[in-house]
Amino acid sequence: MRYFVKKFFSMAATLILVSFLVFAAFEVIPGDVAVSMLGTNATESSVAALREELGLNRPFLTRFFEWIGSCLSGDFGESYSYHMPVWEMISEKIPITMTMALMSFLITVAVSIPLGVYLAKHAGSKVDKGMYMTNQVVMAVPSFFMGIIFTYFFGLVLRWFVPGGFVSYDKSLTGFLGYLIFPSIAIALPKIAMTVKLLRSSILTESKKDYVRTAYSRGNNTTEVLYRHVLKNAMIPVITFLGMTFTDMVAGSIVVEQVFNIPGLGRILLTSISNRDYPVVEIIILFIALLIMVVNFAVDILYRYLDPRIREQQSGRKESGKEEK
Amino acid sequence: MKKGKGLLSLILVMLMTTTIALGGCAGDKAGGTSFNDSITIGIPQDLDDSLDPHVVSAAGTREILFNIYEGLLKYDSTGSLNCAIAESYDISDDNVTYTFTLREGVKFHDGSTVTVEDVIYSIERCAGTSEEEPLVPAFSNIAEISAPDERTVVIVLNAPDTEFLAALTSAVIPASNTDVENNVIGTGPYRFVSRTPQESVELVAFEEYWGERAHITNITLKVCSNADAVVMELLGGSIDMYCRITSSQAAELAGSQYQVLEGTMNLVQAMYLNNAVEPFDDVRVRQALCYAINPQEIMDFVSDGQGTEIGSSMFPAFSKYYMEELNHVYDQDLDRARELLAEAGYPDGFTFTMTVPSNYQPHIDTAQVLVEQLEAIGVTAEINLVEWDTWLSDVYVGRNFESTVVGVDASELTARALLERFTSDFGKNFINFNSAAYDEAFANAISTTDDALQTQYYQECMTILAEEAANVYIQDLPTFVAINENIGGYEFYPLYVQNFASLYIIE
Repeated sequence: MRYFVKKFFSMAATLILVSFLVFAAFEVIPGDVAVSMLGTNATESSVAALREELGLNRPFLTRFFEWIGSCLSGDFGESYSYHMPVWEMISEKIPITMTMALMSFLITVAVSIPLGVYLAKHAGSKVDKGMYMTNQVVMAVPSFFMGIIFTYFFGLVLRWFVPGGFVSYDKSLTGFLGYLIFPSIAIALPKIAMTVKLLRSSILTESKKDYVRTAYSRGNNTTEVLYRHVLKNAMIPVITFLGMTFTDMVAGSIVVEQVFNIPGLGRILLTSISNRDYPVVEIIILFIALLIMVVNFAVDILYRYLDPRIREQQSGRKESGKEEK
Repeated sequence: MKKGKGLLSLILVMLMTTTIALGGCAGDKAGGTSFNDSITIGIPQDLDDSLDPHVVSAAGTREILFNIYEGLLKYDSTGSLNCAIAESYDISDDNVTYTFTLREGVKFHDGSTVTVEDVIYSIERCAGTSEEEPLVPAFSNIAEISAPDERTVVIVLNAPDTEFLAALTSAVIPASNTDVENNVIGTGPYRFVSRTPQESVELVAFEEYWGERAHITNITLKVCSNADAVVMELLGGSIDMYCRITSSQAAELAGSQYQVLEGTMNLVQAMYLNNAVEPFDDVRVRQALCYAINPQEIMDFVSDGQGTEIGSSMFPAFSKYYMEELNHVYDQDLDRARELLAEAGYPDGFTFTMTVPSNYQPHIDTAQVLVEQLEAIGVTAEINLVEWDTWLSDVYVGRNFESTVVGVDASELTARALLERFTSDFGKNFINFNSAAYDEAFANAISTTDDALQTQYYQECMTILAEEAANVYIQDLPTFVAINENIGGYEFYPLYVQNFASLYIIE
């Protein structure tokens, strides 16, 4: 219980720090939301008048704490560009980016784990060697480039999907998921390559350990040993990696959204930064930060469940009075 | 073993999703290429500055709002002013009293009828009283505005203004609308339905439009923020039309189901010089730069030779004022350029910075050619690419720059819209041009009521800009519109507007 309370407070502190940094960044970078709103109608006097109207002339800290206060009361502010509540704007984009991240995560898990196990089992075979080469290549190709190749090949040559023909989830769920398949694969591919490589070597390392020999000596065959004993231990570094991967995928989808012209969080984030629409930027970044923390937290919990050793280690540390990380 | 089963079912679920999704995919493909009564038009940026027709600042937004809002008068594709909400108008002999008769039964998109109160409200909103410069500068000249009866609006001016009618193209909005940003209500041929930020804007033909109803019922404006993907989107069929493609994109579309129409952008592209900073405060330096460059070479590089050379702040579509001879005030002459530089005290040239907005490739390309051309006279230019917003605050409002390459357009078809900018005390005179002769010529131009004389004064202004080398004038950029062969009726305007009402589907 103490663990959760601590975790909660450290998360809250991180969120406040992150939002402060974003706020401060907008103070430092050139450009001004009032100028952005006025565009070529801007003159010194009209900018000054609008800044006054928007309350931008008040001290930085006053504005920051006011913003925190209204966020805590559930009011996330209004977008300067769209004159609509930030939450309303973002809430319809979150499903898009999250679906894409989730899809690529599922694809990664579904492909890389069986493949990694297979390659470890047949280590040294021709398939293994061939896959090693493929893996190296795929790992090196960034997902946005993969996206461009996909758009060209599957979109224009094979016509399996319409480039830029994104359908919103509230119009057609299947069309929506269908459009996201290729972007998701583009994000997933490098991650699959990395996971496969990690899992394969992790299994091979585990296989050399003493308990494996013991398991064999008890008369188990290779398959049994692999699934019952080795895999469970070999998965621990893989899960850490997948945890990081998921947050990476949210970030990756921001880039890939540009290539496939998907109006998700990434698009809103980019244009809001260039419009200096900081209420929107703040909330999106906070959302991403929160997501990363929640995923890391989930990975933590998963560890404790998977590996009793970690649990004991942590409680042991607690008893000796040391700080828990 | 239990775990293995879980994994298997996960894979099964995955496979199922994939199948369903691919099925949906195929269905959409068929929908994308067939036409009925809706088309999708790609737009380069979202309408995210403002939907308030009096506040809107981005040219890209203004050109779309042209379909939604109308004023008493409205431009057609030849650039002449036609009656819109007004049915007729009368100008008194002394040119100060304008009497407008409203067209009967013009409806707003919310179904209410346009009243004289709405017209007066809209004009007063633009005339503004507190601000230094009103939203529509010409409205500062209004002495009195009144409505003697339900269909008549009388505007009395302080002083005659021959270009006053052009200002009356500014939108009429309902006086009762308290939230103009979110309740988009105009009288135009298209009605705003909804929008999804950074995704799309939906328009529908307004059934009760006073004039001819727009031919195409539904128009979806799709935000194509990635300019590099536009050709793919066109070829893939997710958009039917895109109004601003580049010449290289136009070449990529050759042989496809898209026709590419060519027009001019109607803007003044120049290397704008901050006349208040060294060394550009010396007219000889500015002239030297003008002698050093060759607009044709720039056009060859930037847009395969398309585009029209200009020599002052006026583009050819304004045939009434445009002076071709100003293009030859500075024909490329490197020796003359070096001489002028030496006279000004820079025999070995100098180094300066070109602050160029990064959001529009032709300006960046132009800047690159300029760097090469200026190198020949020993002047080193460094390009500093900045975001549009940084450009706005540093260059346009802050005037903290040496030179910049951009295009300046006119919000209405008057010489004033282009030339007032360079009067010495004007708020938007971002190049700090300061010439007593210019101010006088401009003042004469706006105060005279004689059309021929006015044209003469404006041409004097243009000549001063050229001779003083206020800026290094380059070209009016070409624009290419990619449009599906099935769509006809596209018209170029001499202004930065898109008229969707004239489009129709060829059966």
